[in-house]
Amino acid sequence: MLHGLIPEASSFAGNIDWLIFLVLVLVGFWFIVAEGVFFWLIFRFRSRPGHKGQYLTGHEKHVERWIKIPHALVLICDVIIIIGAVHVWYIVKMHLPPADYTVRVTGQQWDWVFQQPGADGKLDTKDDIYTTDSLHVEVNKTYHFLLESRDVIHDFSVPVFRLKQDAVPGRTITGWFRPTETGTFDIQCAKLCGIGHGVMVGSMVVETPAQHAAWVAKNTPTSAQ
Amino acid sequence: MELQPQVRMMPRKKSLRAAAAVLVAVGATACAHTPPPGLARGKEIYATCVPCHGADGAGNQELGAPNIAGLPKWYVQAELLKFQTRQRGVNAFDTIGLRMRAMSRTLNLPGDVESVAEYVATLPRNPVPTTVKANPMAGKATYQTCVACHGATARGTKTVGAPPLYDQADWYLLRQLHQFKKGWRGTDPRDITGGTMRPMTFSLDENAMANVVAYIQTLK
Repeated sequence: MLHGLIPEASSFAGNIDWLIFLVLVLVGFWFIVAEGVFFWLIFRFRSRPGHKGQYLTGHEKHVERWIKIPHALVLICDVIIIIGAVHVWYIVKMHLPPADYTVRVTGQQWDWVFQQPGADGKLDTKDDIYTTDSLHVEVNKTYHFLLESRDVIHDFSVPVFRLKQDAVPGRTITGWFRPTETGTFDIQCAKLCGIGHGVMVGSMVVETPAQHAAWVAKNTPTSAQ
Repeated sequence: MELQPQVRMMPRKKSLRAAAAVLVAVGATACAHTPPPGLARGKEIYATCVPCHGADGAGNQELGAPNIAGLPKWYVQAELLKFQTRQRGVNAFDTIGLRMRAMSRTLNLPGDVESVAEYVATLPRNPVPTTVKANPMAGKATYQTCVACHGATARGTKTVGAPPLYDQADWYLLRQLHQFKKGWRGTDPRDITGGTMRPMTFSLDENAMANVVAYIQTLK
């Protein structure tokens, strides 16, 4: 599906894509049907010599059918989309699986600052690693992120994870992700946050366990070891 | 009414060529809009600096933006390149430096850095108010260490990459001394001039920093 356009690199990326596909199919079906009927009616009842126009109040049974039946079917489709959306919303936003690691992500004009655990694996200890521009994570581990902002509203967006979350000044917002593919992926700010918004970018570096252990060992502050 | 049949009969190849010509013309006009590297391009780029540094380059203390008007081209160019190459403004706690480093990324066409540095150098120097209250006479003795690079009158020395200090805002100078001492600036091994400046701050305590900055203000 969307995987061919942009990788699905988190555990819930497939759920988001499935929801988008469901909406596309149901809404797309009704769009094509509605446009087809619309143009067919224009052609079928076009102005022709010898044919007089009819005045319809809309209360005739054979006319009402054209509204009532599609209306009921569209409502059923709406319910299907709502059920699907709530299901995905629960998986992504309401359900918080236990964390293997916790990181702090701070947005500021116009950079991302990351605080991640050092060799002890725990956040807010002396050996924490601070980075700007790139967040290094281990594949197939569940991460909680504590999202904060130093100034205005930003939006932490990782398209391959299908992750987007506002960072609001004064609040710490907890979210999660579980990377499923190794590689270096884009982090963006998805909320207009000032003149440098367009260059507020970063990298999500998803590493194998060995690569990540080597990175942590290399970057843990020497004074804390 | 006579025109219609002619339009309809226009060969497909001819209309495709016409469409291509229009596209090329539009593209060429858009490209021509960007001035070549130089003062005009520098002035155009400077619009992105105005929100923090001001149209006159006087800076803004609330935003931590220094007075840059009239700074030598070589210095502005060197510092912008440091920001672009992550030699400066990379510390996770350096909110102001991070902001400037992000903006340096917008200078992405060849010659942009030189152009904006050239424009900044042409801006008339601005008077800067005194905000740091300290003892300039005590700072005079400390400043003797700075003379070798920045000069006796703090006009700077291009050959060693030392900028002029005499008309820089005192709050900015004080902040930079703190940043050098904390290791937020001058720690990258590629930053030769920053690496030279940093050890100079090791022996300065809070009072000594304020005093030397106050002395520099007397050299205007």
